[in-house]
Amino acid sequence: MSNNNAEILLKVEDLKMHFPIYRGVFQRQVGAVRAVDGISFDVYRGETLGLVGESGCGKSTTGRTILQLYKPTDGQIHFEGADLVTLHGEEMRRMRRKMQMIFQDPYASLNPRMTVEQIVGEPLMVHNVATGKEIEERVKHLLELVGLNPAFSTRYPHEFSGGQRQRVGVARALALQPSFIICDEPISALDVSIQAQVVNLLEELQEQFNLTYLFIAHDLSMVRHISKRVAVMYLGVIVELTDRDELYSSPLHPYTQALLSAVPIPDPLLDAQRKRTILEGDVPSPANPPSGCRFRTRCPIAQSLCAESRPEFREVKPGHFVACHLVK
Amino acid sequence: MINYIIRRLLLVPLLLFGVTILIFGMLSFLQPVERLALYMRDFPKNEKVVPALIAKYDLDKPIYVQYWNWLWGKVDETGKRDGGILFGNFGYSRSASQPVVELIQRRFPATLELTIWAVAPVVLVGIWLGVQAAVHHNGWIDQAARIFSIVGTSFPTFVFGLLMLMIFYANLQWFPPGRLSDEFSKIVESATFHRYTTLITFDALLNGRFDIFLDALRHLIMPILTLSYINWATFLRVTRGSMLETLRMEYVTTARAKGLPERDVIYKHAQPNAMLPVVTLAGFSVVGLLAGAVITETVFNYPGIGSAAVRAATSLDVVAMLGFALFDGFILIVAALVVDILYALVDPRVRLS
Repeated sequence: MSNNNAEILLKVEDLKMHFPIYRGVFQRQVGAVRAVDGISFDVYRGETLGLVGESGCGKSTTGRTILQLYKPTDGQIHFEGADLVTLHGEEMRRMRRKMQMIFQDPYASLNPRMTVEQIVGEPLMVHNVATGKEIEERVKHLLELVGLNPAFSTRYPHEFSGGQRQRVGVARALALQPSFIICDEPISALDVSIQAQVVNLLEELQEQFNLTYLFIAHDLSMVRHISKRVAVMYLGVIVELTDRDELYSSPLHPYTQALLSAVPIPDPLLDAQRKRTILEGDVPSPANPPSGCRFRTRCPIAQSLCAESRPEFREVKPGHFVACHLVK
Repeated sequence: MINYIIRRLLLVPLLLFGVTILIFGMLSFLQPVERLALYMRDFPKNEKVVPALIAKYDLDKPIYVQYWNWLWGKVDETGKRDGGILFGNFGYSRSASQPVVELIQRRFPATLELTIWAVAPVVLVGIWLGVQAAVHHNGWIDQAARIFSIVGTSFPTFVFGLLMLMIFYANLQWFPPGRLSDEFSKIVESATFHRYTTLITFDALLNGRFDIFLDALRHLIMPILTLSYINWATFLRVTRGSMLETLRMEYVTTARAKGLPERDVIYKHAQPNAMLPVVTLAGFSVVGLLAGAVITETVFNYPGIGSAAVRAATSLDVVAMLGFALFDGFILIVAALVVDILYALVDPRVRLS
């Protein structure tokens, strides 16, 4: 695989993020929501890694934990030679220049009291990258870069449409010239016609600045379009990770198979022919996940082995990782 | 922004007009004879005088004529104007034995002084505490704030005031009622004491009389606490709630992800946004303060506008009551104006729409 030669930008090892649950008069901890429960993966410089899964499977938590917006329960996150988990205060703050995030909801993620210039320019100011007039120039340039009229820089977020706001969010993320950007469902709050524009913008910017993306989404076709490799998450764990084409043509994990069979094919004849795997039951609670394999309660091929031990996340083919006992 | 303020200012005369109509409208429920009686110290024995007086003052005319006379006054042939609230003629208060305007002029500074001292610490410290409680959610400041705000909002003002009076005046004799001790009252009334602001604490400082300042403050402390403890509780609670909500907003996470120091995240991004409901609350609390002043000033025998209003009400001094009602209405309108302008400063969405 060509990946073996590429430089690893981000290495996540056995990352866990458990949110404690407090109950009772004395607020004793009675358990934990295991939002992310031991995941490992690498992201190579310049690639886009797609991260897909159902709502509540821990994709967004993964993104936020990598950026240390939550303090992880356990695990290591190696980024540009440092373990982010061990960084504190000023060291972490300086590291943030190199990794940024684009949020899902462009209505909630922009401070309503700040003008676009303040929003986009603030990172430059707090990291002492630019001052005064220079900030103004940089902001104008960034707005142009994301396809917004630079004259809009004195406007407030509420004066923009959803797509324009998301462009402001992209400009903000780009301001510090980061090498790594986590896109947390950046298009799912937008109209379909706008989605393509924003995705194309992200792709153009990636090419121009050699950006690395972790692209979190639940839209499988969009992930297929933008990603080089794709990781599939289920209930806090990654069940399968491989090249995009490999994943979409020959998925190995039964969950991935079910997920892909749910994607509609825009051809009624083909659609009628294919075999569909329909999952039964609901996603179990991440506060009390099933023993062994997380997916066994809904898996069409589960066996007794699956309840006994947790399947190892192993490389079954070069570059193709799966966590399933039954995949040989 | 300027446009917004001008548009808002244009509303003020309209609101004042509405207030005068409402207040004068209440008088129209009285018979002409009853209305005449309001303005007479001794009701005339001679029955013929009464209809003559009613006719002289147009009390039998339609309500809009009377309203106009009240508002604009009556100008006789010699050009002399009689009455007219627009020209500051609010009538004569029987209970205070002086014109209503003079009564308000004399009493209002005391209430203003009390209010400033009651509100300023609340706004500064109460909001700060609320923010701290939210930032350290479930910490000890938060727990203390929660208990305090429940106790504070569920304690009636008059009970609290009487309790203070019993403990600190009757038993401990720490803080006296009234506004100033007798020996200092003479100095303040004398010509050598310059009354720059008519607020005793500020004047005392400006005259360099620190002893008078301390004496005035000693008199003020109990009324201040009584008037402000409810505000402490509500400001703290509202700030805390609003701040907790704002801290969960995604742009706060964005600010953290940008690499802002936590201090800036809280005070530059979260707090200004959390201030919106607090500004609204500040507007409402002016109403509460005016009502609270009536009780507080009565309990502590404090010579402000509240205690004067109570005296006017208990002696059926309707002329003075009208004056107080108009004055209160005026203050509320000004407060609403200030709140609206503050709101526009705090929230660009209001300004531009």
